[in-house]
Amino acid sequence: MAGPHEILGMSRVLGIGTTEFLALYTDNQGTTLRSEADGRCVFLTSSGCRVHPRRPLVCRLYPLGRSNNERGEERFAVFPAQPDCAAEVGHDGTVETFLESQGVGPYLGWSRRYGELYRRMIGLLEQLDIQGKIDAPAADAPAEAAQAGSGSAGSGQEPDRAPLSSWQNIDASLDEYCAAKGIAVPAEIDEAIALHLRAIEDWLDDLESRLTLTA
Amino acid sequence: MGKQEDRKTVTRRDVLKLAGTAAAFCTSFGFLHGSQTGGVVQDKHIGEWKQLQARWQQAEIKWYKGSELLYSAPFPSKVLKHLQSDEAATVEIKLFRAGQMFKNLGTIQQKF
Repeated sequence: MAGPHEILGMSRVLGIGTTEFLALYTDNQGTTLRSEADGRCVFLTSSGCRVHPRRPLVCRLYPLGRSNNERGEERFAVFPAQPDCAAEVGHDGTVETFLESQGVGPYLGWSRRYGELYRRMIGLLEQLDIQGKIDAPAADAPAEAAQAGSGSAGSGQEPDRAPLSSWQNIDASLDEYCAAKGIAVPAEIDEAIALHLRAIEDWLDDLESRLTLTA
Repeated sequence: MGKQEDRKTVTRRDVLKLAGTAAAFCTSFGFLHGSQTGGVVQDKHIGEWKQLQARWQQAEIKWYKGSELLYSAPFPSKVLKHLQSDEAATVEIKLFRAGQMFKNLGTIQQKF
């Protein structure tokens, strides 16, 4: 799994943009990181992880796993040892100290913020006749996945390689958003993530207002 | 006036972008199933997801001890391709002992 903010961070470590990162290093329409044929992470080298400074939350948590139930209660558990994993796992300390040592805090915060936006999307979709609209695509309305792929490194990509949503591509999203607002695209990763969240909020605000108008 | 009103409606393109983004976040963050990085949105949205997901892309086998997820792995690609080839395609899960089937655990089909 790889959220848009994680893709942004890793792309900056590699010195490339998120459009290129999505095309080169993700599968499942930009939602998961690509693996080698033998199952190894595409960023794992003999000298370690190529994106370690900006590794995703799942890597920071390992060997812990995190889950939430529908009441939002958070649980952590230890994954069974993986035979091929060279990581050294100790048994001292607490979950809290481990999370702190791995710099998990901001990543959990971002995950929660994107989760709030996801819930708003689900709420909006509940108000629409989704099934009929998705099952009968019109010739004049290309799928969002196709839109996200066009005009970028996605041009010419196989359909299942193109991101599901243009919002997965932070660089492209912010270029468009900042141009429309007449503001500069943030250079700092954390600022870019914050603006990305705000841009999605603006988009959802607009959709909600239009739904209200047509209700 | 008619044109201005049209601009205020939610278009098919909006709906597709909304559904695509929700689906992408669902998978990217693990909001659907009890994943290790999952956020605060979980099982109660499985119903909505089934409605949104015209075609699913991945199936997983999961090991549990009580309610604790021990491990998960994707379906073998051959099985997945078969299931995705046709809505009527089915896969049966059966337990065998000494060459004899002693329990049929059920059938999986692409369509919910």
